[in-house]
Amino acid sequence: MSIAINKLTKTYHADSEFPVHAVQNVDLEINSGEFVAVMGPSGSGKTTLLNLIGGIDTPSSGSVMIDGKDIAELNERQLIGFRRDHVGFIFQDYSLLPVLTALENVEFVMQLQGLSSAECRRRATELLTKVGLAAQMHKVPAKLSGGQQQRVAVARALAPRPRFVMADEPTANLDAQSTAELLDIMQQLNSEEGTTFIFSTHDQRVIKRAKRVIVFEDGQLKQDQCQ
Amino acid sequence: MMLFKLGWRNLWRQKRRTLITAFAIALALFLSLFMRSMQEGAYQNNIDNSARFATGLLQLQHPDFSDSQSIEDILPGSDEFIAAAKSLDHISFILPRIESFALAAAGDKSKGVAVIGAVPSLEQPYSGIGDKVVAGELLKDVDEGVMIGQGLADWLKVELGDELVLYGQGYRGQTAAGLYPIKAIVRFPLPQLDKRLVYLPLSSAQQLFSTGEQVTAWVLHTDEIAQVARVKQQLIQAYAGQAVNVRDWLQMAPQMAQQIAMDKAGGVFMMYLLYGIVGFGLFATILMMTLERQREFAVMLATGLQRVKLLQLIVIESSLIALLGMLMGLALAIPLIGYFYFNPIELTGDTAQVMLDMGWEPIVPMSVSMQLAVDQLLVVSLLMLICLLYPLWRAYHLDVVSGLKGDQHG
Repeated sequence: MSIAINKLTKTYHADSEFPVHAVQNVDLEINSGEFVAVMGPSGSGKTTLLNLIGGIDTPSSGSVMIDGKDIAELNERQLIGFRRDHVGFIFQDYSLLPVLTALENVEFVMQLQGLSSAECRRRATELLTKVGLAAQMHKVPAKLSGGQQQRVAVARALAPRPRFVMADEPTANLDAQSTAELLDIMQQLNSEEGTTFIFSTHDQRVIKRAKRVIVFEDGQLKQDQCQ
Repeated sequence: MMLFKLGWRNLWRQKRRTLITAFAIALALFLSLFMRSMQEGAYQNNIDNSARFATGLLQLQHPDFSDSQSIEDILPGSDEFIAAAKSLDHISFILPRIESFALAAAGDKSKGVAVIGAVPSLEQPYSGIGDKVVAGELLKDVDEGVMIGQGLADWLKVELGDELVLYGQGYRGQTAAGLYPIKAIVRFPLPQLDKRLVYLPLSSAQQLFSTGEQVTAWVLHTDEIAQVARVKQQLIQAYAGQAVNVRDWLQMAPQMAQQIAMDKAGGVFMMYLLYGIVGFGLFATILMMTLERQREFAVMLATGLQRVKLLQLIVIESSLIALLGMLMGLALAIPLIGYFYFNPIELTGDTAQVMLDMGWEPIVPMSVSMQLAVDQLLVVSLLMLICLLYPLWRAYHLDVVSGLKGDQHG
């Protein structure tokens, strides 16, 4: 599943006196299985770009083509289905459902796909084991460390077997060891499951691990290089 | 099932808030149900008491009788005529009566009076009229004498054994005149009856007014007041095609019906006031539950939850709080109402004396009715639905991007 971005622009408060050009005329192509870091200072438009690619936000102009299909043409129901089946999200603050255990959090997104309970349980257990949380899978998020919660979030993002994962500053709240462990896990899953990973970050530890680094500044793509 | 589990667990994230809200609903439901049960019990008791001493709960009359009150507008008094009513369920008493007017005179005093001709042996178990006799004894079914109210006896200055002349108009313009010994003086609980009632056996009244075997009304009493409307419809069907008017106590005692309606409206107003106050609490809780989780909702939408499922989740959470409140309210109300149903509140002091003077038991009985409970549960459900409207609207229009940024708290 390839992503082709053509002249993508997102402007907030377009009708006001001070419009905010979060993303401006970006052309980009990301191929299946890539491990991409989008870096740049705060407010450079990284998160907006990820939101546009993930179908959370809609572009002001330009297009995001997934396998040749413009996601702007999808209605809200189709868009939610697209996100559910093809996109995994990892958020900076983990954003797990606090009343569900690690296992249930991972199962939840698969249940949205209509998978059977047994299949959800099998896949969730498998993923949590892969991210090293076999012993913690029945704990609620509050009983887990930040690093462990982010690993649950990774498992949750990968549970519905998405074609690509959007990770918005996934290591921002983690210490060095947790960051290293998380990156190991994500790299492993990237190669094992063939899932495309796209990070927004300004964490050098993440950038060093990325196979491709895209530099963003003032909403514009300034640099795109493979490492 | 997944949403239900999530909703149930979400309730206990703010345990204290959930319990306080549920308890507020429970208290409102308990107070309203208790108040309404007491009100309905009192109304039923009053209606029943009044009906037994006056009109009955239902009457079969000639179609013109309600307007004319004339002895000309009468019905057959035969078993054959009343057989249709007797065949219906839920009718506990069927009493033939002649109700008319005459001039009563004794010595140099006279007064216009209401004359009731009835069968004492049938009336006694219905109204307990024999218990109100203060002098003499209850008439027999075939008797030459009359019973009069204490108030009337005082007005006419007559005593037991004195003779009373009744003079009026009989059936088909005949003169109704008779001389009757006073066999009993009765203290009727209602003053307007006590001052103007003359009571004589049905056969004597039929002879006085020359009605033959006919009567002016058949008085009927249902097992329960709630059955009046249904039995009335059955009677209308049973006597369709005949010159019979079926009237209920609401038509025969409209003042009492109005008084009850006004009193009931006051009670219902208080009930809605109570629910209104509780409603604000419920609304605040549901709104807070929605607003404080905008980011969580945005994450759920981002990860593939359809909006309709999100709304379902909010409805489930609110319903569970309401259900919890309802169960707590019923758990409080049912035993207490049950207790007071079997052990009615006994009135004391002046209020009790007034009721005793009326010939009524000085108690406030409880009404045990499934309908009352169902009404309260419907009100709580409706309240919850109203409280849900705005939070649902907010959730439906949640912008995922703003929600993820945490911008949608206002």
